[in-house]
Amino acid sequence: MTTATAESANWMRPADQVMRLPRLGSLHASRLSFSRSLVRQMAREDWVVSTVRFDLDDHGHGTVVYRLETPGSTYHGVVFSQALDPERRSDRVIAEAWDVTFALVEGEVEDTLLAQMAANVPLQEAGRQHPRLLVLSRANKSMRNFSQFVDALGAGQQPDPAWLTAVGYLYRTTAVYGNGKFGIADYARLQRNPDFSRPFSAQMFAVYLLRHFSIEQVNHLAKIQAPHTAVPLAPALQRYMGIGNSTGLGMAPFLINHPQLIQQWVYGRERALAHARLQSATDEGMARMTALLHRARTHFQQTVTEDEEQTARNRETVQSIAVIIDWLDRTSPAPDLWVELQAWAESHCSMEAQELINTLLIELYPELIDPVEDELGCEEILELQPEMKARELLQLIESRFSWALDYDPDDDAHNHWFWYRSAEKEEPRLGVRGQEIGVEKEMPLAIGPRIHEVHWRLKRFLDTAPNGLVVEFLLANPSQKECVRRIQTMGQTSYGEIQANLWHRDMKPMHLLRTKLSFFGASRFDPKSDRWVRVTLFQGAPLFSELFSHHGTDEKRLNQLDDWSFPVEPDQVEL
Amino acid sequence: MKVSFNELQGMARKAFVGIGFEEGDAIDAADMVAWLEVRGLFGMHALKKGLEFLLQENPRALPELIYEDADVSIFDAHGNSILGSASLALELGYARARARGLSVTKIRRCHNRVLVIGYLSRLARRGINVTAFWRNAHEPLIEQWVGFRARDPEPEVCLYSLPDSPEETEPNDGITLVMANHVDLLPGLRSDFSLNNLMRQTDQDLRRQREHALVEGMEVEDDLWRTLKNLADRLLVEATQDSRSGAGAGTTDND
Repeated sequence: MTTATAESANWMRPADQVMRLPRLGSLHASRLSFSRSLVRQMAREDWVVSTVRFDLDDHGHGTVVYRLETPGSTYHGVVFSQALDPERRSDRVIAEAWDVTFALVEGEVEDTLLAQMAANVPLQEAGRQHPRLLVLSRANKSMRNFSQFVDALGAGQQPDPAWLTAVGYLYRTTAVYGNGKFGIADYARLQRNPDFSRPFSAQMFAVYLLRHFSIEQVNHLAKIQAPHTAVPLAPALQRYMGIGNSTGLGMAPFLINHPQLIQQWVYGRERALAHARLQSATDEGMARMTALLHRARTHFQQTVTEDEEQTARNRETVQSIAVIIDWLDRTSPAPDLWVELQAWAESHCSMEAQELINTLLIELYPELIDPVEDELGCEEILELQPEMKARELLQLIESRFSWALDYDPDDDAHNHWFWYRSAEKEEPRLGVRGQEIGVEKEMPLAIGPRIHEVHWRLKRFLDTAPNGLVVEFLLANPSQKECVRRIQTMGQTSYGEIQANLWHRDMKPMHLLRTKLSFFGASRFDPKSDRWVRVTLFQGAPLFSELFSHHGTDEKRLNQLDDWSFPVEPDQVEL
Repeated sequence: MKVSFNELQGMARKAFVGIGFEEGDAIDAADMVAWLEVRGLFGMHALKKGLEFLLQENPRALPELIYEDADVSIFDAHGNSILGSASLALELGYARARARGLSVTKIRRCHNRVLVIGYLSRLARRGINVTAFWRNAHEPLIEQWVGFRARDPEPEVCLYSLPDSPEETEPNDGITLVMANHVDLLPGLRSDFSLNNLMRQTDQDLRRQREHALVEGMEVEDDLWRTLKNLADRLLVEATQDSRSGAGAGTTDND
């Protein structure tokens, strides 16, 4: 078996394949996704969650406090549930009230802190939050599912699993804040905390805790509604329940403003894939791959979306999976079978299906892949190299950023969109250049055109100063400093820059959203327009009660717990 | 009010862009303010003192290079804040030191000099030894030294007033920076010299301050925060019906 070596680095896919936006927009959640990593960590380290306060009234409104104990620390999750006027129920960032608001707190929640939180957490962005809060979030009910679930359980019936197949949650979050937002703790504080040092792991835990709350709340309401007939939600349905997330353009700036983090995420995934491809396929590995493909096919057959394009993509994926299974059935184990499969898929399968194969290949070799999850964070700083020769910078652009030189400043299609922040809660938005107001305040997110400008100016500078230094170029062109240090820093990496002109008429913002959501571990992509999407997190994930070590901590059990990708609808026997 | 480090840095960055700084300069300026504040060195106080001037300056005016040879560069900032594009003057000194082993950079006629420390930390991380020196006022005459060891992002800081003011012919509104590739330049105090009001902070002191601020948050004046918010809001585009559709989603989600 091959370990992480320089050999696998030679098998990594080139950036001009991986970092193209349509490819990134075809990624799926994988075992390296943050939600998967978190669940593995919770099981491995035997994290224990208990309820220390459950004050919900007959409408399910009130306060619930959970206590989390990890091997080294204690945290609390505090949930505030309130009545919400339907007129105010909006998933947009511009909303001002939500069905539930919640926070993850480091340490104890004393009465004074709880009072401070009760006054501020429900206000979200409008409140001032305490520095011991690690995560701040809110969620709205899926109204249809919520009432159907309460009614069914109250009547002593299990809800129809098809309801969760259509909408896989009772609550969907609309923002999950970390890293110092609105006064909460900085990420720098978590970097040395073994519980939450991985990117977004504290946020993922808060979302996972909300899922637990949603199950407890719906059981509570059913019991209130019909104390004599109510039954609790069956474990198989609890598992099949996830948490929704509604996401708009707000995710896009993160991907552009954190290129070093994106490099770590994509590099980690690609390195894992390279390790996996190098493994010799065995009968056992092929059988496992086929089983995963069957499950994924059912998952995509069951995935519901009103979006025509995504529906077509799902259909293509399902068709491709059938062809892949057939190909595997006709093929014998061979040392380079996975390389062959990947090459074959590139000419026979849709891009989503190609990326599905990659995701499943990563799934086959956990012992090689899982250590990568500790390398997905990094310290972020773009460094200038002022002593570099300007001509070296020019060469760097031409060799590593040639995609940016495709930009044509005179072509209207290349300059169609502009990105800006609205006065309404600073919501990021897209406008059409020349048609909508605000272009003079646009956000500098289109890196391609900016690199193109540096290149253009460099050539002119070198005409008069062929031996000039970068710092001399910048003294003559100070506005280019940020872009130059980005080029110099990211030029040393493979995968940090998304190779797309974000101004281009054909650019699809949905691809940006899906890129980030796939790393979070989202499934059931349900685009609601070209620029906002609903997804589901933690659907199929084991429950708190299943994670506890009194069930055993042997490797086989931990592997079973971890096997929850591409969840499918439970059948009646499981209920 | 209390704010987090990331919040302070983000708000300052947006405020500097709102003032008219280039993006890179806004990022650097915000980093400089936040760097000092999180180490208890009063970055927000320094910003407050300089803000009135900043709002009247041309935020994109570069310091003028008035003399240079292979080792020495002298700039004239024409009375502008060091927060603007003075970073490029420092980068020139860095490039010179890399090539020649030692460089001296002088920026004349600038204010907000204390804020430069955060940028020097950036240079030190890249592996250069840096010392900065400036005098604050005539009566009493205050001298400040800051020294970074190569690769160490935390400096040693010395601030003291002199018992006697020497006769001055030049106003004390410049800053001198020495950078060296291979030699430590930390400020070692002369033991036989009589100094008043000595403030000396070591790299360990500053690390402790930073840890404390990250746990407890940082106290900032409400008025100053409002001012920064108002400047940051200059970047926001007025909402219209069209722009609401530019974000995609509907406004109610009762399904």
